[in-house]
Amino acid sequence: MNEASALYPALPELILAGGAMVLLMIGAFGGERATSPMLSYAIALLVVAGLAIAAMPDERVALFNGSFVVDGFAKFLKILAVLGSIGTLWMSGDFLADPDRRKFEYSVLILLATAGMFVLISAGDLIALYLGFELMSLSLYVVAAFDRDNVQSTEAGLKYFVLGALSSGMLLYGASLIYGFTGTVKFAGIAQEAANGGIGLIIGLVLLFAGLCFKVSAVPFHMWTPDVYQGAPTPITAFFASAPKVAAIAAFVRVSFSAFPAIAAQWQQIIIFVAIASMALGAFAAIGQRNIKRLMAYSSIGHMGYALIGLAAATGEGVQGVLVYMAIYVAMTLGTFACIVSMRRNDKPFEEITDLSGLARTNPAQAFVLSMLLFSLAGIPPLAGFFAKFYVFLAAVKAGLFTLAVLGVLASVVGAYYYLLIVKIMYFDEPAPAFDPMGNALRSIVAVTGLFVILFFAYPGPLVEAAAVAAKSLF
Amino acid sequence: MAGIPLSHGLLVAVVLFALGLVGVLARRNLVFMLMSIEIMLNAAGLAFIAGGARWAQPDGQIMFILVLTLAAAEVSVGLALILALYHRLETLDADAADKLKG
Amino acid sequence: MNALLQEYLPLVIFTGISLAMGLALLVAPFIVAYRQPDPEKLSAYECGFNAFDDARMKFDVRFYLVAIIFIIFDLEVAFLFPWAITFGQLGVFGFWSMMVFLAVLTVGFIYEWKKGALEWD
Repeated sequence: MNEASALYPALPELILAGGAMVLLMIGAFGGERATSPMLSYAIALLVVAGLAIAAMPDERVALFNGSFVVDGFAKFLKILAVLGSIGTLWMSGDFLADPDRRKFEYSVLILLATAGMFVLISAGDLIALYLGFELMSLSLYVVAAFDRDNVQSTEAGLKYFVLGALSSGMLLYGASLIYGFTGTVKFAGIAQEAANGGIGLIIGLVLLFAGLCFKVSAVPFHMWTPDVYQGAPTPITAFFASAPKVAAIAAFVRVSFSAFPAIAAQWQQIIIFVAIASMALGAFAAIGQRNIKRLMAYSSIGHMGYALIGLAAATGEGVQGVLVYMAIYVAMTLGTFACIVSMRRNDKPFEEITDLSGLARTNPAQAFVLSMLLFSLAGIPPLAGFFAKFYVFLAAVKAGLFTLAVLGVLASVVGAYYYLLIVKIMYFDEPAPAFDPMGNALRSIVAVTGLFVILFFAYPGPLVEAAAVAAKSLF
Repeated sequence: MAGIPLSHGLLVAVVLFALGLVGVLARRNLVFMLMSIEIMLNAAGLAFIAGGARWAQPDGQIMFILVLTLAAAEVSVGLALILALYHRLETLDADAADKLKG
Repeated sequence: MNALLQEYLPLVIFTGISLAMGLALLVAPFIVAYRQPDPEKLSAYECGFNAFDDARMKFDVRFYLVAIIFIIFDLEVAFLFPWAITFGQLGVFGFWSMMVFLAVLTVGFIYEWKKGALEWD
């Protein structure tokens, strides 16, 4: 069976998909009892898949006639995505402990969504792109509505579904136009034909980008984000904010550079427009928010704007900036959401910003780490978030996009206001009743991400170099 | 292959796609929105078939089979979600889903 | 001049699509929604099962369940047709690929069986 050993580059995907099937069977026969061991099985599977990715060679390997590509870029982003998924499952223990939610399908769905992200990250043609996109999205629609007894969760799932299906329709229609005008679905083939594709190809490209913009929740396709973030159960919101964003940004970057380098000037304008609009909306719309999950939604819209600056630069340095940005963004997001998950009194979740008031007196350690994470999200030096922004702005300036970089700096100044407001509420307002003590799992996530964010400046080398190697594999 | 030129196929596809898009945006009944989404997906499928015929390749048809099955999966998920909301709210009106605002 | 215009074309298209979508969302209800309510129009006719009985009547959920399950299994079989036609040329790997695919479908089938989705009572 030579063919079977040739499948080695797809091993992580096979582990996740096969593992999800096995877990589904264990759950179907084991019933409710199987839920909590299921969570550990799923985490173990993700860890194994992550190790399998890390063990892959850095050289570019193409599989299935070039539909599936494994290279340094895919490795880097897959590891990020897998870390996001592990973090989510890690913080879901308490959420699943509730008797009404003791459903093993949760772990299976997260595994399948992660498998979809892997395919999306590794896509080498339009078919694999669409398949990965759908596998990821379908699983996400279901997890958004996972809390079936809660109207808000169901509503969030349905809103996400309707708008998500709309966006995948646009992505697919864009793909069909690209195929119609170039005569190939392979990114490499499209790259050769793109220069003489004409206006039809550009419309296709715009529609394809619209679908991807939706998944990264970039303006003007961000409308779903605040509602879905608020309505979905908090650990699931943390998932939405981390791993799928990584996968969608990966697809964005790969499509742009491996299929459309010939019309870079054209897509660059679109990305610049999207980046500016997202940064501006993320900075201004978050100011009036009372619900912390809605606020994080606008924050993530803004962050995707900054990450897209790196793509707008259309250089290797820009891609490196995007990768560093996503790595730091995932860490900050997971840490912040772990803090939000822990906002519970008597087993009831609280989501208003004012619920955090005086946290510095009731739980000084958590207040300190959360304010570090928020400072980092705001991009204040010397925390990790500052370096994330620094690398993308640097790439933009080197590519001659001064206006974009200046607007980015301005947006982050405005955005800093609402992060600082939360810190002020935690440190200077009258204390609200204390939250329930944090579980060990949450505590470990907060500790790890907090340390990463605070100490990144001392030792940025490995991450930045890994991102450079990964970015090089695209050019 | 002398037959229908690519532009005709693409024209039908664009009309279908626009119909679906308008349907999703204008309709307030969730089941009709779901149907409109299906129309959009099928418009894209048609464009793939037209492209495949134009370039005399099987790729377009392969994509169409995938679109067909994924559309079915999407409808199943959508119907299940609509059913869940219907259980809670006893209506199929999309405007009734207004708990999340701000 | 022309080259300059060409350069900004994608931006124009992109803005156009975003504007058109946003406007359509705003304007469509005013144009499309035709407001002249009468009892017949306000009834839940669009849902399809009002005319027989009281609007509060529950339509049996089991029909939906069976329909949802049917859609999936019905259409996944579409993959079998191209496979069956080219079967002779596919070789061992092609054969086992389809067996794996069918095994995945079977896993789904066993899951819904164990969940009781196939039982009518």
